[in-house]
Amino acid sequence: MEFFDCNCEIGVLTQPPLAPAVGPEALVQEMERVGIERALVRHACQIDESPIVGNPYALQVLAPYDNLLPTWSILPPQCGELGTVDEFITAMSRAGVRALWAFPSKHNYLLNAETFGELFEEMIARRIPLFLRSTEQSGSLRGWELCTDLLRQFPQLTLILVGHGSWGTDRFFRPLIERYPNFYVDTSRYELEGGIADFCRTYGPHRLLFGTAFPYTSMGGPMLTLLHCDMPDDYKAAVAAGNLARILQEVQL
Amino acid sequence: MVDSQLAAEFVARGRSAACPVIDTHAHYGEFCGIYFPHPHAEQMLGTMDRAGVRICIFASHMALVDPRRGNELSARVCAEHPDRFRCYLAINPNYPDQVAAEVARAESMAGFVGYKFLSDYYQYPITGDRYKPALEHAEDRSLAVLLHTWGGSQFDGPALWEELATRYPHVTFLMGHSGYGEWEKAARLARDIDNIYLELCAAYSVRGVIELFCEIAGSHKVTFGTDLPWFDPHYGIGCVLFADISDEDRHNILHRNAERIFGL
Ligand SMILES: [Zn+2]
Repeated sequence: MEFFDCNCEIGVLTQPPLAPAVGPEALVQEMERVGIERALVRHACQIDESPIVGNPYALQVLAPYDNLLPTWSILPPQCGELGTVDEFITAMSRAGVRALWAFPSKHNYLLNAETFGELFEEMIARRIPLFLRSTEQSGSLRGWELCTDLLRQFPQLTLILVGHGSWGTDRFFRPLIERYPNFYVDTSRYELEGGIADFCRTYGPHRLLFGTAFPYTSMGGPMLTLLHCDMPDDYKAAVAAGNLARILQEVQL
Repeated sequence: MVDSQLAAEFVARGRSAACPVIDTHAHYGEFCGIYFPHPHAEQMLGTMDRAGVRICIFASHMALVDPRRGNELSARVCAEHPDRFRCYLAINPNYPDQVAAEVARAESMAGFVGYKFLSDYYQYPITGDRYKPALEHAEDRSLAVLLHTWGGSQFDGPALWEELATRYPHVTFLMGHSGYGEWEKAARLARDIDNIYLELCAAYSVRGVIELFCEIAGSHKVTFGTDLPWFDPHYGIGCVLFADISDEDRHNILHRNAERIFGL
């Protein structure tokens, strides 16, 4: 089975994880050990330094690797740091970047319509996905409340929440899955016994994306869990790689 | 792919006859904060079969809240499936007048192998007097005690482990979740104190923790657990299989240490 990891990070942080992965070599080596073919990658420089520096740096660092796809981070367009919305989308297109991240905790902004209305309408029109970590906070909202607030304002946005779990999150994310058709969650910390199969039996296999949260989390755990969960192979293939491949393919730049 | 016969086997078949996993930290039945697809015995057995888990040692959720009803339930599950389940007797120290009666029934309980304390939830320290009847019984009979432990906790954090373990030298203490977060301190305590073991539930997912434990404490001081029905055994097993350790270490963690501790 082909695995396409939607949730990987490399680079240097002010507070590194227990086993940091500074360069792409560490990621590629781990992917080979575990049997993961492709990965969508963010660079720590985009988070702890700045997207202004980190977005181009991610391109540069990942360029030699065909199977590592770069992602970019957003900032409020009003300060003009990443150009106007048009300029930003044009730059994405030129760089071949097809997915974006928001890091409101570190980047100090409100993830809402006032700040990102223009960008998010453009992302919806072009089907560009936005990734968000479950630990992010924006103003007084965090986690599921932040996610719910964002989807209420942009119900058509392709939003992928990663790293949810592991102590029981179905009661939070299933209502959002039912209500918002372009909302997805990843499997990196969806450790719930029987959870993946139970979820896919209820909602079909198209709303989960395989992720590992490398280098924070072991890649072997999420991989073996999906590989042997109790559901048909075509369901597993969709979660393992097919869904993410389709989302990226449908982006119009 | 990783250079491991065990990993190759688990990837191909989901289990390994050469590595019959023992889950040293499990539960049973419904609980307050989580949706469980598979909280009951037949369902848990299906999961255990899929992942090659031979025996699951648990304390029912009911026992962790209301031991009088819940320990009974744990024993019933063990009586119905004596070859697949063992249980820890739970004590709720916030009902101190009930403790002695629970300890008194331990020896006649089907599947009984030791005690489980969930001290953070009770907000009552593992070193507190109310656990004494259980710990004295465990000391007397050289039993195992599984503790929920968490880094920085004033109720069960690694700062309290040495005092407890030296007070009861014949008890085998399994530190559930390995003092989550205080990894190096937990590993050093397991290295230095004979009767302290690191139980991996939830800790396994943190990349690098398993390697660190094997390096500092040695794989002979680490046991495997999943909080079943919380976590998919394949998740934890995958973390162990793809950690940068040897197959000998993997066998120690996944079953050998538990076989030795519990005589299974
Ligand atoms: Zn537990």
